[in-house]
Amino acid sequence: MAQRVVVDPLTRIEGHLRVEVEVDGGVVSDAWISGSLHRGMEAVLKNRRPQDAFYISQRICGVCPISHGHASTMSAESVYGLTIPNGARLVRNIIEGAQFLHSHILWFYTLAALDYVDPTKALEANIADTYALAQAAGTSVSDFGAVQKRLATFIEGGQLSIFSNGWFGHPEYAQDMPAELHLIAVAHYLEALEAQSWATQIIGIMGGKFPHFMTSINGGTSFVPTSQTLDDILFRLLKVVDFVKNTMIPDTLAIAPYYLAATTFGGGVGNYLSWGVFDSESFERSERFLPAGVIKNLEFKVADSVPESVNEYVEHSWYSSPSGLNPSKGETKLDFTEYDTDSKYSWGKAVRYDDMPTEVGPLSRMLIAYVSGVKPVQELIDGTLEALGVPGQPEVLISLLGRLAARNLECAYVADITAGWVSELVEAVKGGNVSLFTPHEVTDGDGVGLWEAPRGSVGHWMSVAGGKIDRYQVVAPTTWNIAPRDADGVRGPMEEALIGVPVIDPEKPLNVVRVARSFDP
Amino acid sequence: MAQEDHDALYSLLAARGVSRRDFLKFCGSIAAMIGLSEAYVPQIAAAVVSGNKLKPALWLNGGSCSGCTESVAQSDYPDVATIVLDILSINYFETIMMAQGADAEKAAADTIRAGNYIVIYEGTVMTGQDGNTLRIADRTGVEILEEAAKSAEAVIAVGSCAVDGGWVAGRPNSAGGTGVMKHLSDVGIGTPVINLPTCPVNPEWVVALVVDYLVLERLPELDDFARPVGIFGETIHDNCPRRGHFENGEFVSEFGTEEEAMNYCLYKMGCKGPQTFTNCPVVRWNSRSSWCVESGSPCIGCGTVDPISGGDSNWVDMNTPFLNRHRDLPFGDSTVQPTTVGVIAGGAVAAGLAIHGLAVKATGQGKGTSEKKKGGDE
Repeated sequence: MAQRVVVDPLTRIEGHLRVEVEVDGGVVSDAWISGSLHRGMEAVLKNRRPQDAFYISQRICGVCPISHGHASTMSAESVYGLTIPNGARLVRNIIEGAQFLHSHILWFYTLAALDYVDPTKALEANIADTYALAQAAGTSVSDFGAVQKRLATFIEGGQLSIFSNGWFGHPEYAQDMPAELHLIAVAHYLEALEAQSWATQIIGIMGGKFPHFMTSINGGTSFVPTSQTLDDILFRLLKVVDFVKNTMIPDTLAIAPYYLAATTFGGGVGNYLSWGVFDSESFERSERFLPAGVIKNLEFKVADSVPESVNEYVEHSWYSSPSGLNPSKGETKLDFTEYDTDSKYSWGKAVRYDDMPTEVGPLSRMLIAYVSGVKPVQELIDGTLEALGVPGQPEVLISLLGRLAARNLECAYVADITAGWVSELVEAVKGGNVSLFTPHEVTDGDGVGLWEAPRGSVGHWMSVAGGKIDRYQVVAPTTWNIAPRDADGVRGPMEEALIGVPVIDPEKPLNVVRVARSFDP
Repeated sequence: MAQEDHDALYSLLAARGVSRRDFLKFCGSIAAMIGLSEAYVPQIAAAVVSGNKLKPALWLNGGSCSGCTESVAQSDYPDVATIVLDILSINYFETIMMAQGADAEKAAADTIRAGNYIVIYEGTVMTGQDGNTLRIADRTGVEILEEAAKSAEAVIAVGSCAVDGGWVAGRPNSAGGTGVMKHLSDVGIGTPVINLPTCPVNPEWVVALVVDYLVLERLPELDDFARPVGIFGETIHDNCPRRGHFENGEFVSEFGTEEEAMNYCLYKMGCKGPQTFTNCPVVRWNSRSSWCVESGSPCIGCGTVDPISGGDSNWVDMNTPFLNRHRDLPFGDSTVQPTTVGVIAGGAVAAGLAIHGLAVKATGQGKGTSEKKKGGDE
């Protein structure tokens, strides 16, 4: 008999999310995702100066403020019709790249790993075997004995802090995964905290601080690189690149074989969008390092992505504003009724591309880059498929495990291209020809900034009248993925990805939270 | 501390790969920040690594962006792992805790029942739509705050959103955002509140405050806005490494100029350093790698707070347009920009600054910071 199962709050994500599923015969038969918070950013921006929106709007997300800041400043620049200089392009790409590295490392270790790695299992590990396994897996070696001892002391102390009431010993942890691999992952779970903070220090240097940075102002950047600051940046970046290449990727490849069952569920809607991220010198979205594009209905071909194809529906959301509007005409009028999965159940709007629920994020970007012929991405994906014993089958990426792998592979690609921009900037500074700012006047008009955050596509739509913001609409990455049902009752991407997910224990639906978290909501 | 305790402490630290020198430096900087003499350093050290009984804490997220959690995750000394494993038992911490759903809520309920805990609150208190602008586990965010705060020893409001609603309380405040202090006072909950503004909070302050509380088991000296005086007692302008340029009349008037490349003063670019009370130039951000002004940006005054009225004068309304000297003032449904000092209320700020500037000059402080700047640029 069908049974409702609720996970509220879904923890280890940015923000507040409720996951409700119906379980029938040991699998999920229906799902409802509820965004549980509305703060009113769009209303706050109205009547302010377009140049202020960069500083304010990034505060939508404390994990991806860089991307929101960039989308906002690009929307203002599109109103003014200006292009930023090449030096500013490099500075922004490096800051954005550092945020991607930070975010993907933090997601994999701090947020997701505990769904696949059981810290209590690490206590059973043999230390000598752990070193041997780490070397065999090609991953970095830590003081595994000290980590195990620290863990044992902590658990014996009986105050479990952030591990209180975790699902230790859950039968859906891979039972054949050796205790030594659990210990390696726990050691790297702790080390990842340092690695991700090297990345945010790069943002600190170039943007003043992270989260919430200061320098990608309308027209370019207010960060003036010098040979010394570039040294400081490079030194930190190399540490991060080392961690990604020699710890994160080998860990991924070591753990993945124990979770191959996760290639059989969690796929989702089969429609993928990217606005494109990391500008090349042409500033064309189709030529970005991770290019713009759309893949529909699981067909491996890419079409242009255009902002006119976006509409937001509110039949199942707590708003009384008109449904089906393009964000350039968007409205946001609050009207909480009650939580009712048959009617309205989310603060998220049902955003659709060509009226179809569409997934955004690393899986979308990597598929679009793969099909568009971005060589380094093709090599990364093909190599990984081969290592996992499924050569030439990119369709296995359309799954829970694929979504995880795509994120970590993207991290490796971003590490390389970010190092490339730093080298370019070093050369430019040496040559003394770095242009960082385009002087401009604030003009009236409509604009849009389309970009990608680590977790997916971000769009900021801005209308300026009389030098002030007249309308501001944001379609955030998670808005796409956690979208509720639309006017036709069609499920959103995360809801659809949950259908068919196996549930052994309805009290502890581990696979359900794995799939929900795989979107990095 | 007795000598054997010292030895035990340092062997424990050594086991964790921390040198005695580094650790004392860290404890010393905490002591300085909260206004204690160096005599307290051993006590701070002992509290940090006591190892036996961890102080229970609940880290609650209201209407937040998780940015303050992110910020604390950037703390390097101690790192966040040390905070959650060795200093506090943070039994509820939505963004990083292992448990989820009902099991997570149970961890919070058990902690509240057991008592003797502190609450760290991140994000805006969401009162709009009868509190339903934030819902967690079939309750409103407001209900959850009230229940947790009622029997807590203290509530630390981290970040400007928790302090007074932050940007969420910016006009028109459509989601009904306010701050912890105002809300608890409205509903008659007398638990002490400590405010740590800025957007996000600086992790060094959170660590300093928590350790201070664990050592002395009392709150530090607070100002009228319940901010620790040691952290929020001076303006950014007072300690700015670019202060010498201000004194010399050397200003940036536009981005992309030679003056900008020479790190001149950003006062004319709207820098809110003169009216913003934080020690950002001293503690800096992201493991002391830099801070806003050093990266080339005028301060936007994210530490401007109004905890008593609960956000009527939040930092966004008070400081926009950020790149102008004066804020836009509300005028009906629209705003006006004062152009002349002293015309409307904005004049008070400007007048205050002028007096302050004179006072600083008279004491010769400007000259001192000018010299400090040269050293700091090495």
